[in-house]
Amino acid sequence: MLAMDQGVVEEWLSEFKTLPDSAISTYAASLKDKGSLIPALYKVIRENYSDLLEPVCHQLFEFYRSGVPQLQRFTLQFLPELLWSLLSVSAARDPHTSGCIEALLLGIYNLEIVDKDGQSKILSFTIPSLSKPTVYHEPSAIGSMALTEGALADHGLRRVVYSGPHLQRENFTAQNRFEVLTFLLLCYNAALSYMTPTSLQSLCQLSSRVSICGYPRQQMRRYKGISTRLTVTSEFLVQLITGIHYALSNGEVDLGSKALDDVLYRAQLELFPEALLVGNAIKSSLHSAALKSNNKEGARSIQVEITPTASRISRNAVTSLSIRGHRWKRHDAVDLGSPDELMDISEVDEGVWPGAAGHDMTPPTITISNSTTTLNLGAKAMKKCRLGGRSSKDKESGPLTTGRAASENAELSVKRLTLTSSQSVPRAGALTSLTRTASAVFSRSFEHVASSNPAPTSNHAASEAGRYSCSLQEEGMGYLSPTPNHTQRSPSISIPLGSDL
Amino acid sequence: MTARKSGSRLETEIERCRSEGQWDKIPELVRQLSAKLISNDDLGELLLGESKLQMYLKENPIKQGSSPRGPRQKLVEVRKHLTAALDRGNLKADYLQEASLLMAKICYIEGEYKDALGHYNRVSLEDMQLAGAPVYRLSMIAEAYATKGLCLEKVPASSPSLSNKNSGSPLTNRTPAEREQEIITCYEKSGDIALLYLQEAEKALSAGIQNRSPKPGPTAQDLELGYFLETGLQRAHVIHFKNGNLTQGVGRFREILRAVETRTTQNLRMTIARQLAEILLRGMCEQSYWSPLEDPPTVSPLDNPTQQGHTYSKNYTLSRRPRVYSGENLFCPQENTEEALLLLLISESMANRDAVLSRIPEHNNDRIISLQSASVVYDLLTIALGRRGQYEMLSECLERAMKFAFEEFHLWYQLALSLMAAGKSARAVKVLKECIRLKPDDPTIPLLAVKLCIGPLHWLDEGEKFGKMVIEMGEKAAEFRAKGYLAIGLVYSLKATDASLRSTQEEYQRKALGAFQRAQSLSPTDHLAAFYLALQLAVSRQIPEALGYVRQALQLQGDDVHSLHLLALLLSAQKHYHDALNIIEMALSEYPENFNLLYTKVKLEAMCRGPEEALLTCKHMLQIWKSFYNLTNPSDSGRGSSLLDRAIADRRQLNAMTLPDFSDPDTGSVHATSIAASRVEQALSEVASSLQSSAPKHGPLHPWMTLAQIWLHAAEVYIGMSKPAEATACTQEAANLFPTSHNVLYMRGQIAELRGNTDDAKRWYEEALSINPTHVKTMQRLGLILHQLQRYSLSEKVLRDAVQVNSTAHDVWNCLGEVLQAQGNAAAATECFLTALELEASSPILPFTIIPRAL
Repeated sequence: MLAMDQGVVEEWLSEFKTLPDSAISTYAASLKDKGSLIPALYKVIRENYSDLLEPVCHQLFEFYRSGVPQLQRFTLQFLPELLWSLLSVSAARDPHTSGCIEALLLGIYNLEIVDKDGQSKILSFTIPSLSKPTVYHEPSAIGSMALTEGALADHGLRRVVYSGPHLQRENFTAQNRFEVLTFLLLCYNAALSYMTPTSLQSLCQLSSRVSICGYPRQQMRRYKGISTRLTVTSEFLVQLITGIHYALSNGEVDLGSKALDDVLYRAQLELFPEALLVGNAIKSSLHSAALKSNNKEGARSIQVEITPTASRISRNAVTSLSIRGHRWKRHDAVDLGSPDELMDISEVDEGVWPGAAGHDMTPPTITISNSTTTLNLGAKAMKKCRLGGRSSKDKESGPLTTGRAASENAELSVKRLTLTSSQSVPRAGALTSLTRTASAVFSRSFEHVASSNPAPTSNHAASEAGRYSCSLQEEGMGYLSPTPNHTQRSPSISIPLGSDL
Repeated sequence: MTARKSGSRLETEIERCRSEGQWDKIPELVRQLSAKLISNDDLGELLLGESKLQMYLKENPIKQGSSPRGPRQKLVEVRKHLTAALDRGNLKADYLQEASLLMAKICYIEGEYKDALGHYNRVSLEDMQLAGAPVYRLSMIAEAYATKGLCLEKVPASSPSLSNKNSGSPLTNRTPAEREQEIITCYEKSGDIALLYLQEAEKALSAGIQNRSPKPGPTAQDLELGYFLETGLQRAHVIHFKNGNLTQGVGRFREILRAVETRTTQNLRMTIARQLAEILLRGMCEQSYWSPLEDPPTVSPLDNPTQQGHTYSKNYTLSRRPRVYSGENLFCPQENTEEALLLLLISESMANRDAVLSRIPEHNNDRIISLQSASVVYDLLTIALGRRGQYEMLSECLERAMKFAFEEFHLWYQLALSLMAAGKSARAVKVLKECIRLKPDDPTIPLLAVKLCIGPLHWLDEGEKFGKMVIEMGEKAAEFRAKGYLAIGLVYSLKATDASLRSTQEEYQRKALGAFQRAQSLSPTDHLAAFYLALQLAVSRQIPEALGYVRQALQLQGDDVHSLHLLALLLSAQKHYHDALNIIEMALSEYPENFNLLYTKVKLEAMCRGPEEALLTCKHMLQIWKSFYNLTNPSDSGRGSSLLDRAIADRRQLNAMTLPDFSDPDTGSVHATSIAASRVEQALSEVASSLQSSAPKHGPLHPWMTLAQIWLHAAEVYIGMSKPAEATACTQEAANLFPTSHNVLYMRGQIAELRGNTDDAKRWYEEALSINPTHVKTMQRLGLILHQLQRYSLSEKVLRDAVQVNSTAHDVWNCLGEVLQAQGNAAAATECFLTALELEASSPILPFTIIPRAL
């Protein structure tokens, strides 16, 4: 260590001690201007045996204990370096244990796990729910949600604890080491925006080293420190990944992506699902990020572009929404009750329906639909539309779709059952050709239905329902043994057609 | 349209067409209009010019970032119409303004930015009224602001024409910062008015649908934004981010998102919600966050300090603003993860709605687009929820992603991992199978599956299959090959413990040993390989060899708790009880809260230092238990909150137990029948445990199980001290938790024996066996009692069964020898005694199998 660095550190040590309480906030603000201090402090921490280490650790703890945010962040920026120092010493089973670093880290931990009144601190957050209005949405606009166990159980905001309460710790043991370190990283991550590039780099290095030491990859990275394997926990890796994610998007691309790779490598070897999950997600989101970050300049900036607002999905593709709307119409038509009830079913699959019914009819002309417009207004609006009369087109299409939809419904519910029991493994094989023709016809005819603002008036409902049940059987049979003359067997389709034309 | 419309009706119709962008109908309406009144001609010109301009833009849309086009033939005609309208000066003031705005728009399209600015200055854009303006005019004003912003960006700052005297332009002599401020203000105003326009237009539209005359009116088209409105809505935040002004950018995003959504803004909202979520997750932290309803901090680390001079402050107010979500009890996020999560859930619901379901080739592209936009959302959701440990919820979200997942490895794999993290092991294994099918070369996936099969599921046959997959990959599996051998070794080792036939047992032990040796030679620096090899050797009672490997393991990983524990047990098998106790104490200094170590300590202390010390340790354990579980979370974290979820999670935790069946030598916890028995305990105790809402989330053991075990250990110590009353009290504590546990019944039998009540003891033992028919300790005691009752053949039967279950239980062999001797079968008895003697020489104080075996 150079004499100059030593001088800087010693000056820093003595300056704070003589500081009157009133001057602390100005002092805190001025810290960042001391250019050579921070590198010198890094050196002190890295050289484990320096005489200065103990007073430095002590002063860093004083900073943290002062409660002044800037001073606390000043201490926090050294956290990755301190962690590495601690871990490498304990792994090397060095007799010169770095007692003062341990004391500093435990000190911060014990300060952070309690609140102002000395009660155990519990970190919690609210899981938002789409079923409650928020500043960004109205529940009615979202439509119904999938009826999962969770959704059914908590129809509201839910407050969950993600860390704490923690026990006070007097010393590090193999058992509590990672518990304490994970919590410290959580504190560090909460202040990530205030960390200097050097600190982020140090975090990335820490992550790489913790992950690869003692493994074959160590040679690849040419790291020549300790070569014993360090035990880690999955939660610790997840916290490291959180920090790496920030570093990656804020200038530390090279070190960050290396660190992410190394942590993932270790998570694979340890078979840690949590770390793999989050790490994979970050890797994949970097490829297809919604934002482009301006990485080249190493600047902490995020770039966005003007994106086209029109939907990029073509209108005649069958989507969850279009298929959902389709069902609404049908269920309203037969007055089965709330359209939402069957939403879950309708989302499961595209409509594979017995293809025969529509084949020998001329497909109705397609006006590029406003289907989505009307559908989006929701079931309520659609009921209103219905009062406004019907076009000649719906008369031919109404019953047709009713019949078809019914069979689809039967078919789908069967499908759904099999799907859930077989873990939703999609099968490509035999059904594809049928599916293709079927869905092509289906989507087109659906388009038509939707575009003509249809649906029978209420006094039609009864007869509709009759047809509904009858065609359900017919179509069901048709599916089991498809015959070319199928439509002739289905009076529910031809009769209303004739009357209208 | 034969019937001529009355004047006002005609005007309404024109207004509607302009609002809804139905430009193709305008010429016909203008014809009707002119036929009515000659003075309408100027208005007609304006309308024709506008409709032609809009049609032109529809046919030749301007692309973002494209260069100006120069004069166009088609636009000449438009310009003629507008000039005609303007020149005669007969138009109402409003219409004059509109004509000027249209002129400016043409100027922009043709690249005449200064002219365009001149027009805007003349009509004094800022003074145009928003209140009471027809819907179409809102759109015009919004476009005008956007166009003005575009022009200002294009015109160099020091351009002389800007200091044009008669324009009275305030643009003269401005600093770059002021110019930037004006540009951004233009865009933000444009965006706000555009949102207002869209809301109003949609309102008018739905009103129109309700009131429309019965004739089949043409259905309204989707409103399209077009280049100018798109720019107006988005350019402001683009500039903010380009300037490194994150706080302003985030603020603008939030303003747009808080405006009530319209059909047309859905896609924009989805994009922006996703972008904002991403910024919150990767560019912000808890300390730098501010909530959407708070004012942004004046100094924020988020703003790029190197790009000085881009200080923007919002300084305009509009007389009408877009409607925002409002009402009572609106949820407003208070933390960056909360906000990110809310935004992502909204995006997810939209992405899900757009999931392209049809698989016909023509829709390939659509499918890819919908998949991509959904994957981004799901990845971000994973980051947000993973960070907060909410794997239960994450697995439910990812389950919804399955409609996109056909043949998509990433989505399947993430689902599998989330199920695994949420503890839904059985489903996780099934999903992992699909992952293996999609990516057969990745050794991690089958290894994850083995981990679950060995651990929580105890599906050993399945586990064997997965393990073999890894081994069959050979060299390709690289570093994972050793892990594969380790995995299959563990499967065999557990199978050996489960096996009831001696020959099968030995076969599996041999196989396990082989696999561990292979793993160890492939990865000599892996302490786990050395450790499991040592454990397997220990189980087959090759004590010196086992000691060698456990030392090796400890050299590689000095503070591994299981290696230390094994070392202690091995030392106890060699009857070095004091050394063993020293090791345990050393291990406990590193793992003070490890109950497994403490159980062994109790046993060793009773042996070396007398029962008083052991009782002190039991008391200490109770204290640890209390401090550990008293601190449980007030609201259940890490798991679902629903009752159903909780029940599932509890069951999972209980199934996951590899807890030592403490009093049962060598038949470890994982013996199939003892699992069955402990399931009975679980079922019966579930009611009890569900009353306690806050079960701790960590730790492999159910806390109540641990507590019962501590009491039973204490009872055993008291029995050793011949204190039946205290032992009964301890047993009663355990019985309160698990009244039908075979361990409790066994302990009661022992107490009865201690009291000299043989009949009671026999009854208790029989009850214990009816719950767990392979509980060797009970069988041994029962055999002994039957022997005392001189029912030799029944006793022999029971003891032979016990030996069959566990061939290394030396006291059973001993009892068997005595029974055989009493029956006069001296030769067989001798053999039994010899076996017992031999086994006793290598018998540890607690069975080796109390050390958990997991990958």
